[in-house]
This record gives sequence, C-alpha cells and structure tokens, in this order.
Amino acid sequence: MKTIGLISANYGSTEFGALLQNRTLASLPYGGRYRLIDFALSNMANAGITTVGVIAPVNSGSLIDHVGVGNPWNLGRKSGGLFLMPGSVYGMQRSGSRFLMRDLLKCDKLFTKDDADYVIMSGSSDVWNIDFEPLIKAHAESGKPITMVYKKVARGEEFQGYFLDINEYGNVTGINMESYGWSNYFADCFIIDRKYMIEFMNWYSALEYMDMIEIIRDNLGTVEIGTFEFRGYLGKIKNPWEFLKVNQAMTDYDIRNEVFCNPERPVFTKIQDEAPAFHFPEADVRNSVISAGCRIEGRVENSIIFRSCHVAKGAVVRNSVIMMHGIIGEGAVLDNVIADKYVTINPGVKIYGGEKDPVIIGKDGRI
Amino acid sequence: MKKKKMLAMLLAGGQGSRLYDLTTNIAKPAVSFGGKYRIIDFGLSNCVNSGIDTVGILVQYKPLVLTRYVGTGESWDMDVADGGVHILPPYASATGGEWYEGTADAIYHNIDFIDMYEPENVLILSGDHIYKMNYNLMLQEHEAKGSDLTVSVIEVPWEEASRFGIMTADDEGNIVKFTEKPAEPDSNLASMGIYIFKWDVLRKALLEDHGNADSSHDFGKDLIPKLLGEGKKLTVYRFSGYWRDVGTVQSYYDSQMDLMDNVENINVFSGDMKVFSNSNMYPPQYLGREANIKNSLLCNGCTVYGSVNHSILGSGAVVGYGTVIEDSIVLPNAIIGRNCRINKAIINEGAVVDDNTVVGEPDGEVVVYGKAKLSI
Repeated sequence: MKTIGLISANYGSTEFGALLQNRTLASLPYGGRYRLIDFALSNMANAGITTVGVIAPVNSGSLIDHVGVGNPWNLGRKSGGLFLMPGSVYGMQRSGSRFLMRDLLKCDKLFTKDDADYVIMSGSSDVWNIDFEPLIKAHAESGKPITMVYKKVARGEEFQGYFLDINEYGNVTGINMESYGWSNYFADCFIIDRKYMIEFMNWYSALEYMDMIEIIRDNLGTVEIGTFEFRGYLGKIKNPWEFLKVNQAMTDYDIRNEVFCNPERPVFTKIQDEAPAFHFPEADVRNSVISAGCRIEGRVENSIIFRSCHVAKGAVVRNSVIMMHGIIGEGAVLDNVIADKYVTINPGVKIYGGEKDPVIIGKDGRI
Repeated sequence: MKKKKMLAMLLAGGQGSRLYDLTTNIAKPAVSFGGKYRIIDFGLSNCVNSGIDTVGILVQYKPLVLTRYVGTGESWDMDVADGGVHILPPYASATGGEWYEGTADAIYHNIDFIDMYEPENVLILSGDHIYKMNYNLMLQEHEAKGSDLTVSVIEVPWEEASRFGIMTADDEGNIVKFTEKPAEPDSNLASMGIYIFKWDVLRKALLEDHGNADSSHDFGKDLIPKLLGEGKKLTVYRFSGYWRDVGTVQSYYDSQMDLMDNVENINVFSGDMKVFSNSNMYPPQYLGREANIKNSLLCNGCTVYGSVNHSILGSGAVVGYGTVIEDSIVLPNAIIGRNCRINKAIINEGAVVDDNTVVGEPDGEVVVYGKAKLSI
C-alpha cells in the first residue's frame, strides 16, 4: 500500500496583516521553534511517506528557506524525496481553496511517474499530529476512491471551512460552508487512489479554475466518498487571535503530550543549534514555553517565546507570542501582543492588546 | 581527488574511567555536556569551523551511543562527498585482530586510511576537553615555522602545573623538554593533547614506534620524546580562551557549574564558530504554573513543574511537582518524580528518580545518580 503525499501551501489569509506580509501561512513561525508546515510534513514522515510534493505559492522564499531539501522529514533522498512545485498566482487570492486543479495539473508528473497506490493530500496550516497509518488502512479496506478526514466539533459556527454531511454508511452526502452546533469539520486532508486522481485530472483539465473540494462535491452522487474521524487536537489558525490561542495551547498538558511530546510521532523542524536557554536569578516564568538561546531576566506568563529572545530585568510578557530574536527592554510590559522576528521593545514601553484583538508588531519593528 | 591540506584524527576510544558511572555504557566523548551537547561536539565543531572536512574517529570502548550520535556527520556539515567523518574501530587482518594499545597505536593501525587522503598534515585530537579553537590558526603557525610537530599549549596556574603534561619551550617557541606531570615544573605550558604533525614525519615515527617492544605507543609518553630525541623541529602553539578539562567527576561538574556563574561562558557555544550538535527533535521547554526556575540552563524538551536553582536540565528532562533541584546537573531525558530533593548531584542520562527521593547533600561530595539508559 504505497502512499505518497501532496501538501498545498498555495493559500493564504488576509487577516494577519504584517505577519503574512512577506511570508506564506505555511511558513508562519509557530510554537517557539516551528513553522506551520512542519505539522503536515511531520505527519507524512511519521507514516513512513518518503515522496512528498509541496505546492509552493508565489511568495515562497521563507517556505523554501525553511523546508530546504527536506532533510528533517527524511525527504532528502535518492529515491523519492521532496518535490517543491511552484503553484499558480491564483492560490493566494482564494483563501478557501487548497488544491486548485491548475496547480495539480502543473505537478501531474508526481502522480503519473510514481507507482504509489494512494496519495494523501493535506493543507499546511493546521497544528495537529495525526497517525496516517490507520487512515491508509481504513481507506484501503473500504475500496472507496476517496476518504476524507474530519473532526467532530461542538460549535460549528466558530469554525470556518467545509462541513461534511455523513450518512449511516460513513459516506459523504453533502459538503457545506455553514454549520451550527455539532458538525463534522473537514480537516483539509483526504486520501485518494492515485489512479483516480489521474482520471480526475483528465476530466477536469479544461476546468482548471476549480478546487478539488468543488470537484469532489460535483461527484458526490456518482462516486462513493468515505470518511475517517480524527479525534485528536486540531489547531486551526485563520486570524491573529486564533494564532495566539493555538500557540497557548502548547501550555495545555494534554495537547503538549499529544501533539509535541509523542515519542512515536515527533514533530520535526529545521534545526538551528542554539545554546540552552538561561534563566537569570531574577527570572520568573510561569505556564510558558521558552526556546533555546533565550535569556530570561524578567517575568513571562502564559506566553510563547521563540529562540534567542532576551527578556530584560523587570520586563513582563503576558499572554503573548514573541518570535525569534526579540528583545524586550527593561521594565517593558507586553500583554496580548504578537511580535514578529527581530522586534525590539524599548525599556519601559507598555503595550496592551485586547484578548480577542492582539496587537501585532511587524518584523524588525522598534517601539 | 583533491589532496587534503590537513585531516583530523579524533581519539575517541578511551573509557574515561575517572567519570565512573557516567561512562559505564557510554564512551567519554559521547557523555553529555551543558545540557544539549556531547563532549565530541566541541572537537567536531572546531574542525568544521576551521575548514577541516575530513575526520577519522577512533573508537574502541562502548561505541554504540557515540557512533549513532555521529551518524553521517550531517549535524556538523561533515557529510561531504570527498571527505566527511569516518568511524574507525579496531579491525582484523590476515595476521589476526588487535585492539588499539595506545593513542599512537590507534593511529598506526589507520595509516592506510590517512594515506587514502594524502594529507600534508595530520591533526590529532583527544575528546577530553571543552574548548573552542580555530585549528587553522595553529596550522598557519605550524607551516610558517616549518615545524614537524606543533603542540597546542595553554598556560595553567603554576601550582597546578604538576597535574599536566608540561612543555618547556625556548623564546622562539621551540620545545626543549617535555615532562609528564612534573613534581617540580620549570614551565606552566600544559599540553592540550592537540597535535599537528607533518604526515611524512608522523608516518615514519609510527612505523618505528610500532617495532619498538619497549614502547607503550602513546603520543605523550613515547612519540614526542622520540621526535625530540631525534632533533626534529617541535614547537608550541599558545592558545588562550575558553578551555575546560572534564576528565574527572569533579572537573566535569565544576566546568558546567561555571556556565551559570559566568553567563559569558554559555555565549561561547553560540555566536561565531557555533558549536553544533546532533539534537533530537524536542519541542521548546515548558514551565508549569508553579515552576520556579532561577539561575539555570534549560534545554528544549524540558518539562518543569518544580523548583530549579543553579542547575542544568538536559534535553527532554522532566521535573515533577514539589521537587527542588539545586546545584545539580540533570542529563538528557532523566525523569525526576514529585517531591524529590536533589542537591549537588549529576542525574544520569535517561535515569528515573522515583517520587520523594533524596539525592546528594548541599555540603557533600558530587554524587552521580542512576544508570544511563541507552535510547535513540
């Protein structure tokens, strides 16, 4: 049951302002040392998938820099490996789309040259740690050409995306954009028979503006679409508030153990070789995540501090995310703030964001 | 293939018996240091930062962790096409198999390996010290002086000189005398166990030394006195900078404690000539709501619910609620339960400390606790 992977990074969001000015959602720094695409890549690596395509958007400099030739995910190989494929310029204009047919047609060699049975297709902006092996097994046993992954959510109205209507045979009968109460939230991930994918590409080559989800919906009456429930943590990031919230999820005992400290399925990322973090005698860190290379002299609460940051004496960082190389000056106070890379906060400066409306400080910002 | 200006041979076969339980399962160069490093990281990083891309690593004692850790050398950018790291264990030949009988003997058995690269010079390194050094500067001096052998030396306090191999040099830096642990030293230049030899000179000396039944086949005891006696040009290279000996439990402990007592020391590992390591994939450290961390170094993957003062927590270490750790070093992946008291202790790699355990005393000797658990 050979399986290959295809990850789409060719989509964005207009709600992040400065954070996505020069990078893709897939390469947004997350959780102290990661980029969002690490989760999709690690899920593939942990299932033993050794051929993975990544559809890269137009502004993919930071993504290419991070992913490189894919060594951290065992993808720097002679046989198979990582295939970075340039996506179309339309990707970034359609935040709901993941797999545009025009992007898939451009990387058709991935499907036609490989002899894999299945292709797992995944988005690149969710924080989750899924075991793909049961998915592959369930899909193979079902005999259905496509199996979609979903998560039951209690309050569908708080999610944006697609929701699945599922019948008693576990088949998808409808795909909707709106939902209330308990719903089956589509996890931007499905597995498809490779040969079926090639057929889809032949049928829809003239309709290349369509997205795979639209194509699947078009075929619901004629093709049996199976489902697979994911019961773990699924961190969706569509705006700065959710970004802050999903970062802080790392301080949750269960989520930390499930997603980040799972010895069977580690989350891999590019290695930076920083020295250990030093907590000075005056440091006071509570319920927070601190990365290598940090120097902490002040107070940190409910926050995520990326590598090589300095929190000076008397500074307070609360409910915030400080990306790499941030410098928080003496006596500065940050509350509900997202600071991009290389931000400097001068001594004594106080910044208070709203709980659902964090203040964003762009890269290299000095305040 | 392009001939090598210099290749390095790293002596990593010793047991390090004075580190006691730290080296029961692990060769000394693979012992953890500073939370996330292993001792060999410093030698390998110095090599790559000095532009040396070919290193032979001589292994013998308990090599499992060491060889797995070094791997392809990728972590130190040593996975290059015309060089790279080579693990060199003792081997059998038509005349039978032999262990490495001494530092020089280990190199003797790998003459064929060195010949493959046809180097002009060979750098001999030992895995005993924590330091950051640009071997290229030493090579420049070695070549400028036209030396057959250059020995890197560091000034040590006169009162400690009798613990070291002492080089006595004239005003031009020519070595006139070498004394191992002299009772009454006439110099305070201690050999750092770092040698650059002209390969043809070393090759000839190794062959002759091998045939000498009275030799213990050791660089310090046999090779250097032999070359000195033959009137070869031996010079010192004076090094100054961060350099720590980690040969005993006490020196291993002290050299890590001073990473916290002088915070500039930890900067040694970052910045230019960064020290690289083969880190496992850990998430950043998490400190709980009741955690209390002061004056300590913590690595990725740590999870702390208790109190930690003036201590080092290695990668993946866990500290339970109510536990207090002071003046201690917790090696990677050690799991410390709840309500423990740990003082002046080294908790071995992957060791498990049960709830309510007391280890060490504030005024006692440094204690090594637990047996290292080998895992990947």
